[in-house]
Amino acid sequence: MKISDLLSLSFENLRRRKGRTILTIIGVVVGTCSIVVMVSLGIAMNVGFDEMISEWGDLTQIQVYNWTGNTEVPKLDDEMVKTLASIEHVKVATPLYRPQYLNGQLFAGKNDRYQAYAEILGIYPEAAQELEYQLVSGKYLTEASTSGKKLPVLVGQYTGYSFTDTKKRGDSAYRWQGQTDARGNPLDPFVDVEKDKIYFKTYKNEENDEQLSYELDVVGVMLEDYKKGYITSQGVLMDLDLIKKLEKEYMRANGIKDANYDKQGYSEIYVKVDDVDNVEQVEKAIKEYGYETYSMSSERENMQEQSRMIQLILGGLGAVSLFVAALSIANTMTMAIYERTREIGVMKVLGCKLGKIRQMFLLEAGMIGFVGGLVGIIVSYLLSFVLNYFGPMLQGAIMMLPMYGSKMSVIPLWLAALGLLFSTAIGVVSGIMPANRAVKISALEAIRHE
Amino acid sequence: MIKVKHLRKVYRTGKEKVRALDDISLELGKGEFCCIVGASGSGKSTLLNQLAGLEKPTRGSVTIDGENISEMNENQLAAFRQKKLGFVFQSYNLLPTMTALENVALPLMFKGVPRKKREKLAKEQLKKMGLGKRVRHKPTEMSGGQQQRVGIARAFVGKPAVIFADEPTGNLDSHTTVQVMNAILELIREYQITFVMVTHERDLAVCADRIITLRDGKVLRDERIEHPQKAYILPEGEQDSDLDDHSWDEEPDKKKTDTTVELIGQIGQTVHRAKTVQESQNNPNEGNSKGEQGK
Ligand SMILES: Nc1ncnc2c1ncn2[C@@H]1O[C@H](COP(=O)(O)OP(=O)(O)OP(=O)(O)O)[C@@H](O)[C@H]1O
Ligand SMILES: [Mg+2]
Repeated sequence: MKISDLLSLSFENLRRRKGRTILTIIGVVVGTCSIVVMVSLGIAMNVGFDEMISEWGDLTQIQVYNWTGNTEVPKLDDEMVKTLASIEHVKVATPLYRPQYLNGQLFAGKNDRYQAYAEILGIYPEAAQELEYQLVSGKYLTEASTSGKKLPVLVGQYTGYSFTDTKKRGDSAYRWQGQTDARGNPLDPFVDVEKDKIYFKTYKNEENDEQLSYELDVVGVMLEDYKKGYITSQGVLMDLDLIKKLEKEYMRANGIKDANYDKQGYSEIYVKVDDVDNVEQVEKAIKEYGYETYSMSSERENMQEQSRMIQLILGGLGAVSLFVAALSIANTMTMAIYERTREIGVMKVLGCKLGKIRQMFLLEAGMIGFVGGLVGIIVSYLLSFVLNYFGPMLQGAIMMLPMYGSKMSVIPLWLAALGLLFSTAIGVVSGIMPANRAVKISALEAIRHE
Repeated sequence: MIKVKHLRKVYRTGKEKVRALDDISLELGKGEFCCIVGASGSGKSTLLNQLAGLEKPTRGSVTIDGENISEMNENQLAAFRQKKLGFVFQSYNLLPTMTALENVALPLMFKGVPRKKREKLAKEQLKKMGLGKRVRHKPTEMSGGQQQRVGIARAFVGKPAVIFADEPTGNLDSHTTVQVMNAILELIREYQITFVMVTHERDLAVCADRIITLRDGKVLRDERIEHPQKAYILPEGEQDSDLDDHSWDEEPDKKKTDTTVELIGQIGQTVHRAKTVQESQNNPNEGNSKGEQGK
């Protein structure tokens, strides 16, 4: 007996009991739908978390803190940073040093017409590249460029816009990104950071203190990247040693004294790990020194743990309805066998092998599962679409609805495939018992009964 | 072709034992038409079921074409039935959802014959049974006689070595019985098929080569007919062509020879000898030889 014949026999048998078949299929549709949609909510949560997290920051970066000044925890000085940098899988470790004392402003233009309050941070010169600060133009800082008179710096992509015009008042004193003139032509910032001369000048604490002035040498312009922070947008990045030297000069010029200045450690450093999967391990190693850490990865881990739990609960709820569907398939098949006892007997007498009879019933049950699953998945995609479309509105009304990212329900292809596979398997499995029953029917009894 | 040795079948219902078959031994040759007759409850159906392997004997064995079917398991039996056996049932047993064509093609489907080929064969077989125009009809859309002709076509379509029939005309009126019986006769002679038929009407046995009479599970008589009647005809007094089933849409092979009597083929010829046959029923051996002479 050919597979195609078996298939058409099974199909025909389902078709002739349309009403009952459709009811049973609806059961499977509901079951498949509830599992797929439930799981899709969980997946959407995960996707949402990732969207959220990747907006917040770099997944392979760990921030290490030492706020407390706890004496049992080793000082987080340059020596220590080197130690942390030597941990396996660490690409680079660097402070992003914000000077405590140094106070000043950027100036440019004739008679210091343009001024800017820009954040200036110190970094290990080679670390900027390793931390993946992208450059729009120029090159990274190098060790060698530390000497010389000018201060080599990296500036943010839009640092130019932080300058204001001291000769003007109101809006015209500012320039901002995307600003256009009356005709719609874009307006450049007052200062072109790459061409114009820019000076860093310190404030005087008291009238007779000395004002220090340095010319900046912009060696590169960083690409704005929110994940890396504001510094890539409108900040200034400088060699760590250089910024410390400036700070000391400033302290001397303004009579500031701090006996501990050279002894203290950093309160915050950044560690870059080679791969997301190693972040957890590195973070653990750092924690063993007693430092506190923060990383997007550990945050992500927490969130995923949560959503895994929720997915499990939701999936379990869905599974209950698919189980009910399985019972109804078994019931339908058993009914069919009672009705078709005579037919089965005739087939046996005409030489149909037992295996084929079993296969016929398994196929029927499997078809119910498959068709139910297929329709269920189509309906799931529709539901998912509706949820995503109306989700944001609903969320206002019902706080319960989990929605973290831009979507409320996400059905990846693998979930659809799995749903279909699962429903078909459920169908076949629920057909096993009825099929065995059909096989056991005595041909003679069957054809005898009127 | 078929060998039966010391066949016994005992049914137990509660504490009671019913000996449905009691030590039956017989042998049937190839192409033989064997009628099993006997009173109700004499064990005819039981014997047929044993011969066809539908039930296991309590003791003894049945061998068909050299293969001992009493020792086969269900799957071997199914394979054997596919190859060698055909069945005609009293209650037709057509699958209600299938058309006549599909019903006839069913045994071929189990054999794995491709759809086109088996439908062609089935159609030919249905044409032989005069049902060329009922190919697409479902059983519920056909009369009992037509349904039984579909059942016969189904039994013959695979040209099996042996066909078993348990009261194939039991549900048909006498006029339809004539047509159905003659259709069967023609086919078994054409294909040299061994045909075993159970009936409780001795009239029907006139065309058989062999008549086995059972009583209480034993063989009462085992008669060989030297010159069986070639075709079955109606008993006298029942001849009325107006009562014939006119659904035969075309003649099977032969031409009508008698235009006044609207019967087909051999029936048409034999109608004239109705009287002789009537006599023959009282004495089958003699009657049949007379019937031959009458021709
Ligand atoms: N499955 C069974 N269980 C118990 N007894 C049975 C069974 N089948 C048949 N018998 C008994 O066996 C005996 C023979 O039955 P069988 O059906 O062969 O009779 P039969 O000759 O075909 O009669 P009929 O002409 O009425 O069909 C009967 O006495 C019947 O009661
Ligand atoms: Mg009987």
